[in-house]
Amino acid sequence: MAENAELDRIVEGCKSGDAQAFAQMVDRYAGRCYGYFYRLTGDRDLSDELLSELFIRLVEKIGSYKGGVFESWLFRIASNIFHDYLRGKKRRQKLFDARRAQLQRVSDEPRQSDAKDEMLDRLQVQLNRLDADTRELIMLRYYSQLSFKEIAELRREPIGTALSRLHRGLKKLRELMQG
Amino acid sequence: MGNQNQEDWQALFGRFGNAEEADAAAEDVRAAERILNAWPAPQPDAKLVAYINAQMAARQRRKRRLARLSHAMTAAAAVIIVAAIALLGHGPASKPTAPMSYASIIPTSVWESDDVNAEDAELMYFDSEIRRIEAQMEALESGDDDIGPAGDVEEIEMELMQIETEFWKG
Repeated sequence: MAENAELDRIVEGCKSGDAQAFAQMVDRYAGRCYGYFYRLTGDRDLSDELLSELFIRLVEKIGSYKGGVFESWLFRIASNIFHDYLRGKKRRQKLFDARRAQLQRVSDEPRQSDAKDEMLDRLQVQLNRLDADTRELIMLRYYSQLSFKEIAELRREPIGTALSRLHRGLKKLRELMQG
Repeated sequence: MGNQNQEDWQALFGRFGNAEEADAAAEDVRAAERILNAWPAPQPDAKLVAYINAQMAARQRRKRRLARLSHAMTAAAAVIIVAAIALLGHGPASKPTAPMSYASIIPTSVWESDDVNAEDAELMYFDSEIRRIEAQMEALESGDDDIGPAGDVEEIEMELMQIETEFWKG
C-alpha cells in the first residue's frame, strides 16, 4: 500500500516535471527494464540504447498515463521499443545480406566468428534457442512482475493462449538448461 | 531477482486442465523461474544511469521551452489576426489589402536551439513589438484623429508584415 503511494507520488512528480522524481523512476525501474532488454537482445550496448530510449519516451509520454498498473504501462512502452528495434533490424539485415552476398562474390575468404557469441552466458544462449515471441513473454513475466492476467491483457491475447505458450517455453528452457 | 508477484500457478493452470496437469505445469514454471533467478541479467552501470538522468533532464527542459514558445506564438498569432481583422475594417474600401499568410513552418533552428537566453531576448522583443502594435490598434479603433486614415494603416500593416517575417526567420 505504502509502495503504491510512493509510486503515485513519483509519477505525479514526473508529470509536473520534477527532475528528482525522474531520477527516482530510473532508480526504481532501470534494473528490471535493463534485464528485460538484455535478455531479449543479449547485447549490452544495445540494451544501453534501448533503456535510454525507454526513459526518454517516459518523459514524453508520462502525461498520457492515466492510472492503472504503472508497470503495465511502462513495459508496454518497453515492448514497443523492442519491436521497433526488431523492425529496424530486419530492414538492416536485408541490406546487410545483400551487401554480404555482393562481397562473397568478390572474395572467398572465410568470415571470422562472432566474438560476441562467446561472451553470452549460458542462459542467454539457451534463451536464444526459443522463438522470439515466447522469449519475450517469459521476460515480460519475469521482469515486469505483472500478474499473468495483466500480461495477457498487455499482449492483447487470451490468458489461456499466453499461459500455454509460457508453460511450453519455460519447460523447454528448463530442459535446455538441464541438458 | 526475487519475484514480488507470487502467482498461484496451480489455480491458474487448474482453469485449463485437471489438478494433476496443473501441478506438473506449476512445477515446470517454478523450476524455470529458479533457473532465471540463478542467472541474473547484468545491471545498468552507473555511467549509463547518469547519462539517462541527464538525457531526461535535457528532454524535460526542451519540453518546457517548446511549451513556452508555443504559448508565445499563440498569443502573437492571436494579436496579428485581430490586427489584420481591424485593419481590413479600417482600410480604404477602394484599395485592396494585401493578403497576409500567418501559417508558417517554425524554423528548425528555433526548436533545436539550446540558447535559452537568446530565445528569451527574442521573445521579449516580439512581445514589446506586439504590445506597441496593440496600442496603435487601440488608438485606431478609438477613432483618434491624430492618426492619419490611410497612410498610418499602411504603415502598421507594413510593420506587421516585417515583424512576421523576422519572427519566422528566427
